[in-house]
Amino acid sequence: MSESILAVENVSKRFAGRVALESVSIDVAPGSITGMIGPNGSGKSTLFNIIAGTLRPDEGRVLVRGQNISSASAAEICGLGIARTFQISRLFAEMTVLENLVAVARGRDDRAAIALALELLDFLEIREIADRWGAELSYGQRKLVEIARALMLQPKIMLLDEPFAGINPRLQNRIVEHLRTLCTRGITVFFIDHEMRIVLRECDLVYVLAEGQLIARGDPQSVRNDAKVLQAYF
Amino acid sequence: MKGINPLAVAVIAGLVALALPFVSSDYAVSFSIQLLIFLVLAYSWNWIGGYAGYTHFGQVGFFGIGAYVGSLLNFHWGVPWYLAAIAAAFAGAATAVPLGGGRMMKKGQFFAIGMFGLASVLEAFALGFDSITGGGTGIYLKPVSDLRPIYYVVATVAMIMLLMTWRLDNSRLGLKLLAIREDENAAESLGIPTTRLKIGAFVASAVAPAAMGSIYAVYLGFIDPPTAFAPNMELTTIAMVLLGGMGTVLGPLVGALALSVVNEVLWANYPQIYLACVGVIVLLAVLFMPRGIVSLGMKNGWLRIGRPLFRRLAVNAGQAPS
Repeated sequence: MSESILAVENVSKRFAGRVALESVSIDVAPGSITGMIGPNGSGKSTLFNIIAGTLRPDEGRVLVRGQNISSASAAEICGLGIARTFQISRLFAEMTVLENLVAVARGRDDRAAIALALELLDFLEIREIADRWGAELSYGQRKLVEIARALMLQPKIMLLDEPFAGINPRLQNRIVEHLRTLCTRGITVFFIDHEMRIVLRECDLVYVLAEGQLIARGDPQSVRNDAKVLQAYF
Repeated sequence: MKGINPLAVAVIAGLVALALPFVSSDYAVSFSIQLLIFLVLAYSWNWIGGYAGYTHFGQVGFFGIGAYVGSLLNFHWGVPWYLAAIAAAFAGAATAVPLGGGRMMKKGQFFAIGMFGLASVLEAFALGFDSITGGGTGIYLKPVSDLRPIYYVVATVAMIMLLMTWRLDNSRLGLKLLAIREDENAAESLGIPTTRLKIGAFVASAVAPAAMGSIYAVYLGFIDPPTAFAPNMELTTIAMVLLGGMGTVLGPLVGALALSVVNEVLWANYPQIYLACVGVIVLLAVLFMPRGIVSLGMKNGWLRIGRPLFRRLAVNAGQAPS
């Protein structure tokens, strides 16, 4: 296996004494699509928030290309090439789609930022909504715009929090195609979702969390047949 | 969609403002000075309260600091009022830097509560240090015989504030501030340096109010603590921005014009109940137009929606050969 671009080492997190994560370790290979599944409350979003710098781990550390980012701020982590989307859409509602993208652009002038934003809207086939307000968009459109906004940061790693939840299969397949294209461009995709069909079909590596603990890790086939996974889900 | 061009409105307003002292009475000039001072205060507050979403009740603190710095320089050392106003602006910024550094690390509600007491604390200082500030008696300044220079200076500052707000509104800095207002945690997660931007906006929003405080003292001819740190000044400023439209270019202008005229008409006709009437008007406006008069104009197509500069650049980028 190639050296990991993102590694979580023995991370634990508690909220008011309740265990959210217990000594969780994961590795994400560069250019891969890695998925994480788990029942509600299993700690998936907590782990994402720790990687993205929104939460601090109580124990353990997070490494990006070998660099410890456990105490870095969310903005600093973003600067290291990690971009994220959110479980519940957090588009800036009183900005247009184009403005949502341009607002987060880094290190380029207005013209270049707008050109990149339009290029990404073309890539995701949503250019026609560039002038629409964030608040006006449908659920699926919001998911796509969040992906475009994360891509504005020209990330090395994309953290996608439930990108397939609540959207129709056709749009799910479109997003999967886009994620595959991103991987061919050298972007690493790490996502969490409940959509087992996609996770088990598309991921190179799958992690399974239950009650804050990692209960399985492996290729989709082995995870599908894992007794602990079957017990956690069924 | 055809609509009112904000830039055209600004140019017409500028021309009217230029001619006003020559075609109107002293009363009109005096009223205009007060209106323009409120306009500057409203634009300043709009940067931090409207764009960054950090509403607070501490701006009158900077106004009061400016009033005292300018008055003391003028009274003790005979510094001309316009130079004293510049010094007051620096004093406002110098006060805002440590305050911003300390308070803007906090999220919205903690910041608002923290700023709430600023004016009261400063007023207490102004009362307590009577050997310097004159205490409750205040400081009496040499009366100004001609109000026109004051009018033109305040009008120029108001115009600059409007143009700066227009530029901010059409910039990525403006979008980043709006992002903080919309969802600060998401903005931080997307790499926007929220703390640095908030402190910057806060300090910038303190400069002009301090200068206006200094000029206001010259305009009145005296300053005392209740005048320099008047809560009514703060509340009127915020009401103007709310009425016009927070986080918009024309909101403070529309709000200041509307509220100043309504205020004046009610005061002239119903002096006993005018404040209550103004309060009811603001309350109704906020209830039925929570985004202000400007958003109503956008909804009805009288004003253009969104930031035109980005739209124009996007159109150009779309037409450019790939």
